[in-house]
Amino acid sequence: MDSEYAIETQDLTKVYVSQWKRRQVRAIDGVSLRVRPGAIFGLLGPNGAGKTTFVKTLLSAVRPTKGSALIFGKAASDPQARRPIGYLPENHRFPTYFTGAGMLDFYAALSGVEASRRRKLIPEQLELVGLKEWATMRIGKYSKGMLQRLGLAQALIHSPTILILDEPTDGVDPVGRRQIREILGGLEERGVTIFVNSHLLAEVETLCREVAILDKGKVALSGKMQDLTAGKGYRLTVPQPPEALTEELRGRATSMAVRDGLVDFQFSSRELVNGAVDLLRAEHCEIEALAPTTSTLEEVFVRTVQK
Amino acid sequence: MVTLALIRDTFREALARKIFWVLFGLSALLIIFFLFLLRIDIVAGATATVSLFGRETRPADANVDRLVRGVYGGIATFLYTWGMFLAVFASAGLVPSVLEPGRIELLLSKPLSRTHILLGRFAGNVLVVFLNTTFLVLGVWAILGVKTGIWSPGFLIAIATTTFVFAVLLAVVLLIGVTLESAAAATMITVALMIISPILAQTSLMMRLLSSEWSRNLWRVLYYALPKVYELGKMTLDAIQSRTFAGFAPIWSSALFGAIMLGAALAIFARRDF
Repeated sequence: MDSEYAIETQDLTKVYVSQWKRRQVRAIDGVSLRVRPGAIFGLLGPNGAGKTTFVKTLLSAVRPTKGSALIFGKAASDPQARRPIGYLPENHRFPTYFTGAGMLDFYAALSGVEASRRRKLIPEQLELVGLKEWATMRIGKYSKGMLQRLGLAQALIHSPTILILDEPTDGVDPVGRRQIREILGGLEERGVTIFVNSHLLAEVETLCREVAILDKGKVALSGKMQDLTAGKGYRLTVPQPPEALTEELRGRATSMAVRDGLVDFQFSSRELVNGAVDLLRAEHCEIEALAPTTSTLEEVFVRTVQK
Repeated sequence: MVTLALIRDTFREALARKIFWVLFGLSALLIIFFLFLLRIDIVAGATATVSLFGRETRPADANVDRLVRGVYGGIATFLYTWGMFLAVFASAGLVPSVLEPGRIELLLSKPLSRTHILLGRFAGNVLVVFLNTTFLVLGVWAILGVKTGIWSPGFLIAIATTTFVFAVLLAVVLLIGVTLESAAAATMITVALMIISPILAQTSLMMRLLSSEWSRNLWRVLYYALPKVYELGKMTLDAIQSRTFAGFAPIWSSALFGAIMLGAALAIFARRDF
């Protein structure tokens, strides 16, 4: 594991060809991404952008048409390259004949964990995800959120150094989500690389330090979260001003929103917001709040995919 | 460790399917039948009476050895027809189930080759049928041995031949499973191979009946290419009856067929996107 990157793809391309019509679909198109060891990386994109195909090429479930995918410097197609990976798939279908403990035992064995160590790790992992009481229950009885937590325990049981999570909080209640975030936070402290594929932008914004946005199979935007969401602006909140002044301010602002008798004006520069303050004070209007704002990840995402 | 885990998983999934319990149940019923309901009284090496459900009969042919071999033959035939059909039917779903989206990606994310995954499933499935066959054959063999004092080892060959034929047919199930992901298609095609086998075995008769050379050649190609389920069954019966059999061609040609099917299944599975 002496590679500079935990995950590195170069010009990764996957073209699906329909067997009968010979139609070609370019699911991912020349994707080059680098994820440093220890990073929490979010992969975003609208439906059909190629996120799942990208993740599957990292796991060698999909063979790339062109380009390369490396895990700690080893080709993803090499089974040994997958040894440090813990993976939680989206829409997982765990065999219902397993008990919670039985499922962890099976997948840990496939990951190369010795039997004696499995006996120690299984109760620990079940406790970590809050399923200790359910260890001997068949997973057919588990709720969706419980299955998701069990899936996370499965991904963690062999102490992976890369965790690939596809919609990790899907179907999990708010308490469970917080629990998962705490677990992932603990893993970040231990230097585990976490790669999250999710459409829940708020979740990714809270969790990830770096993101890439895929659109139509290509990387449309990538970078550090703080850089991408550092869109400058100011929000001025005032009690409902007179109508004429409201219209004047609306004309200068980039957006206006009314809530609970207050009006939020969003201005794109310091000069504009100062001008608005001068106008309000001239009319003896009160100011509720004035704060600098950054772009939300959602705004960045929408701007990127709508270009 | 990994191979064992894959085999155990197949075993667990097989046992979760009720049809495998039906197979074991039928075997257990047969064993119970021979254990409790069939009584054979022997006087000076010949059957004096045979008691079934408490009713005594005196067989016309009082040779114990022939009676025991007849029972063995019946069991072997049962294994070859209903046993094999049920085993194929029960196994046909075990490949598509592992290829289900959400399950296969997780398996492929583990540090093991695709060949390993598929062979693990194959071995687990063969092991289930081997254990069931062994349970039935050894059980009946031991009971009849104790009751009659005849320990004919020929019957034990049925364990090997039944498991072997099942493994050959399972290779077909695997190939269809990874190609079409359909348990129904896998069952239909495999059962068709079982049904066509006794028909194709009539080669010498058909060579006389078929008028054109190309149809005779087609028949020969089909006969030599496809697994010889019928002949292998016949060889088992010959072994039970201590008769000599023509040769080992049905074994190696069926093994070759199975190896090609298994190789094709592994090659397709290795190349597929999931």
